[in-house]
Amino acid sequence: MTSRRQVLKSAVLGGGAGVLAATALGSLGPEAAFGAAAPGVAPGAPDPDFAEGRIRSVKDNTLFVLGSNMVFHRIRVVDGTSLWKLGPVAFDQAKPGDGLYARGVRMPDGVLAAESVWLNIVNVKGHVRNITSEKLHLDHNGQEILCHRVAGKSVAVYSDAPPSADLSLLRVGQHVQVLGAWRPDTNQVDIATVFSPH
Amino acid sequence: MARSQSADPPVDLLGPVTGEVSWFCCGSAWGPCSSTGRGACGTCNSGSMQHAWPNTSDACWAITRPDSCGVGLSRRTCGFTHRITALCSGTSVVTSIADCGPQTDLFCGERSCCGATCASNRLIDLTPAAYSKIASLSSGLRPCEISVP
Repeated sequence: MTSRRQVLKSAVLGGGAGVLAATALGSLGPEAAFGAAAPGVAPGAPDPDFAEGRIRSVKDNTLFVLGSNMVFHRIRVVDGTSLWKLGPVAFDQAKPGDGLYARGVRMPDGVLAAESVWLNIVNVKGHVRNITSEKLHLDHNGQEILCHRVAGKSVAVYSDAPPSADLSLLRVGQHVQVLGAWRPDTNQVDIATVFSPH
Repeated sequence: MARSQSADPPVDLLGPVTGEVSWFCCGSAWGPCSSTGRGACGTCNSGSMQHAWPNTSDACWAITRPDSCGVGLSRRTCGFTHRITALCSGTSVVTSIADCGPQTDLFCGERSCCGATCASNRLIDLTPAAYSKIASLSSGLRPCEISVP
């Protein structure tokens, strides 16, 4: 079975000349970084192979991201990187201002070679305050979040039933989980999946 | 006043327990998560290997009430570690308690499946850093096994 490190190694070595150049100044080459077993992270500790924050700028194949804790990240998108923004997207959908979570392999020069980047992804639970054919008003800990149905994208999962494009079974007052894509600097979310317990 | 726990022995004392796992954000964050604090333990951070557990205190139990779904869970406090194994992939992660949750009683009877492998009731929430070790964040909800490492 191919590990994610092997996949990333292959992707970086195959098309990531920038990564090779960047790591030339480090103590380890990328082969060593990807060839090594992923180091165990102690429970409770920050994971160095994970990053979160908002994109400040995009240059070539690198996202320059300011973490919410004010730590700066350089996130390299390589051939094998998957990007999500309400669904699988191409790299050009990553925009300044987007929030993100990313997982990958931290290179010796500090760059995170990304396996996955989730753009604007949110996963919130709350009560349905109102619902129309196009919108769902969610009370999330007293904060209203306006959730938009996106044709061809939004689905509901009613317990263990297969995903359905029919959101009409959702009811005012019930509790749901909304997984979706945040519209930056608003209280609005585009719905990917609504999870309903029944 | 907090309601008392069920007299039934917690199922997790008998061995691994299966349930649903989701993810939540905490600590410094963007978007709807920006108003989220550091959790009941005061240490929660989306980028750390942590989780929320429904029985960290009497006050926590009074909110989450997994017993109303027929599930008894042990009292385990901040810093206690669990191993969470995704039943879809078989991969696992070891994390420590940093918050109270999920609110199990609001999703009683809900079931998640991977093919024929299913689990019911929300018993644990992981931080994004932890969840993304065992599943894609875009999956949102998965069946899992919870054990003590």
